[in-house]
Formats: sequence, structure tokens, C-alpha cells
Amino acid sequence: MIKQFLLGLAVAIAPMVAAAHSKSEATTPADGATVTEVSELSMRFDDPMRIISVTLTATDDDIEIERETGMEPTTEFRAVPLEELAPGSYRFDWRGMASDGHPMQGNFSFTVAE
Amino acid sequence: MTGLAPIDGLAALAIVAKAIGYGAALLAMGGVLFSFVFAKRAEVSVLRLARQLAVGAALVGLAVLAARFGIRAARISGMGFEGATDPMMLGFVWESPLGTAAIWRGFGELAILTVLVPRIGQWIALVGSLAVAISFAQVGHALGDPRLVLAVLIVLHLLTAALWVGALLPLRRAALAPSGVDVLHHFGNVAAFGVAALILAGTALAWLLSGSVAALFGTAYGLGLLFKVAIVAVLLGFAAFNKVRLVPAMRAEKPGATHALRRSISVEMLAVVLILLATATITSVTTPPVNL
Repeated sequence: MIKQFLLGLAVAIAPMVAAAHSKSEATTPADGATVTEVSELSMRFDDPMRIISVTLTATDDDIEIERETGMEPTTEFRAVPLEELAPGSYRFDWRGMASDGHPMQGNFSFTVAE
Repeated sequence: MTGLAPIDGLAALAIVAKAIGYGAALLAMGGVLFSFVFAKRAEVSVLRLARQLAVGAALVGLAVLAARFGIRAARISGMGFEGATDPMMLGFVWESPLGTAAIWRGFGELAILTVLVPRIGQWIALVGSLAVAISFAQVGHALGDPRLVLAVLIVLHLLTAALWVGALLPLRRAALAPSGVDVLHHFGNVAAFGVAALILAGTALAWLLSGSVAALFGTAYGLGLLFKVAIVAVLLGFAAFNKVRLVPAMRAEKPGATHALRRSISVEMLAVVLILLATATITSVTTPPVNL
């Protein structure tokens, strides 16, 4: 019975996960935007957020970025790409912890056009 | 679905660990509360079971508490399991409200271990139970406004739930003894008030964290909560059936009544497991509508 329940729960949750997305904070570049150049990557939060890990990925490769904001909780996070971003699609992923202790994660994507 | 965080392997592990932590805390507090409330009515063997249950649960609770630090460190680190032992990540978790809650819960569960010591140990364990309940008011959305009201409601919700959950196994044992009917009957009367307080506190919390009835149907938090309430309703149905039908049938010495009651209590335990899993899921990966 427990097994059946857990299976049912998994089936019920699956579409929720698929439809889930992190709440959109204001980001630069904006999520889904097409831009010609990216001089900085930034995110703003309502409440101070401790941003712990960040990655910027092109189709397959990780792009090196330098954090301007440290690991202290902040309402504005900034980082800069160490190289000029070639045309293509990019995805920025972050993980961290909200001030109430909840683990948080999110991402935004953008396209660099010529 | 609004207000639902992604659920990866670590998040699923965190949910299971949290549910076990909830169960351990409720059994530890509940075992102590049971041995106080039924000190004069229950048989020595039943009281001993309640206290042993409290100690076993407190030990599991302490182990899970340590494991949860590692899991949380891993989750925030973005490094996977490697992050679980990273001193910097563990430091971040320690500085967060989970650190404060861990002090209350760790102290409380250690204090509960003294329940096996007669007299003074019992009182220390009772204080420990209160500390464990208070630990739940130190984390998550209990830290929102109005904080004092939320804290009092959560402590009340936890203590009444513990009294119920911690009583299930001892009552199941008590049903076997000749004096068991009196214990079960008395529990039915105590539980009637306890359940009323439990439901009032739970409803008030849900109201404060949801903000509106509409929010219940449109958010992950709301749907999770409705699911939890549905299982609670089933649990209440069984409890009411036990009180109104099965315990009187036992008193009248009807054949099979004891067996039926023990089986019914087992089903209650299963319902509690589902409720704890649902609660751990809600508090781990959904956001209360008032915070959306």
C-alpha cells in the first residue's frame, strides 16, 4: 500500500516538477532576452540571498565568470564573464540559501546575437 | 504550478530525512507526554514502552539532525554530496536558522534521554519535549509575521500531535492488558481536547500562511496542504471509530474487538507516516502563498 501510494505521489508530482520554475527575479540580461553584448550578469532579490554557486554554460561548455559579489547574503548579485561571449545561447544557474535557511536555486537563459 | 521548487535527488533525500526527523521528534516528545499523562493509569510495562520509545526516537532524532546538516550543506553547495562535508558550507548552515533550531532540538532530544531516570529525569525530559517543540518555531516560514503568534501556534500544534503520535504504540500494547480499556477510554477523552487544539492550531497556521482560500487551490503549497488534510481526515475517522465503537466493544468484551482495535491503531500509524511525508514535502519544496 505504501509502495502504491509513493508511486501515485511520484506520478502526481512529476507534472508539477516539469512545470516548475524558479520565481523570476530581475536579472541582467533578462530571462529569455536576446542581447548583442554582455558586460555583466546580475540578479536582484527581495530578501538577502546567500549566493553560493554560479555557473554560466554555453551549449556544452562552462564559461568562466568572475564574481564581484562575495558569499555574504545580498539583494544584488553581480558577476562578469571573463571572456567576450560568442553568439549563441547561454544559461546561468545559481544555488544558495535564503535568509530563513531554505536552500534555493534558480536559472535564467539568454541569447547573444551578432 | 506556482511556488514549487525543483525536486532533485538531494531534495528528495532532504524530504525523507526531514520526515524521519519529524517522526522521531513527535515520538520522543509523545513518549514523554504519554508517561506523564498516564503515569497513574497505565501498566508499568506500557509506561516502560512509552519511555523506551521516547529514548529510541530521541537517539534517531539526534542522528537525523546531524545527517540533515550534511544534506543541507550539499544542497546549497551545488557540489553534490561532496558539499556535505565542506566546512564552509556547514558553517553557512550553522549560521542559518537551522543552526538555532538544531541547538533547541539537540538540547531537547538529549534531555529526553533522561526519561528513563525516575522522578527528576522525568521532569528534565518534559522540559526537553518543550525545547523540541520550540525548535520548530525557529525555522522556515515560522519566522514570518506575526512571529510570536506563529511560534505559539506551532508549539501547540507539535505538542498535541506528539501526544497523539507518541501514544499509538503504547496504546496498542495497552489493549492487550486487562486494565487497557481504562487507559484507552481515558486517552479518548484527553485526545478529544488534544485533537481540537491540534486542528485549531493547524487551521490558524494554514490561514496565516495561505492568506486566502483561493490560494489553496492554485499553489503547490495549497494542494500539498489539502492532501495532508485529507489524510488527517481519514486518521480522525479511524480515531473516532476507535473511541465510539471499538473501545466500548472491548469494554463489553465482544470477541475480536481487541484485535480490531490493534489493527485500527496500525492503520493510524500508516496514516501518520503519510502525513509526515506530506508535511516534509510541503515545508521543503513549496512556498506558502503569503510569501509568493
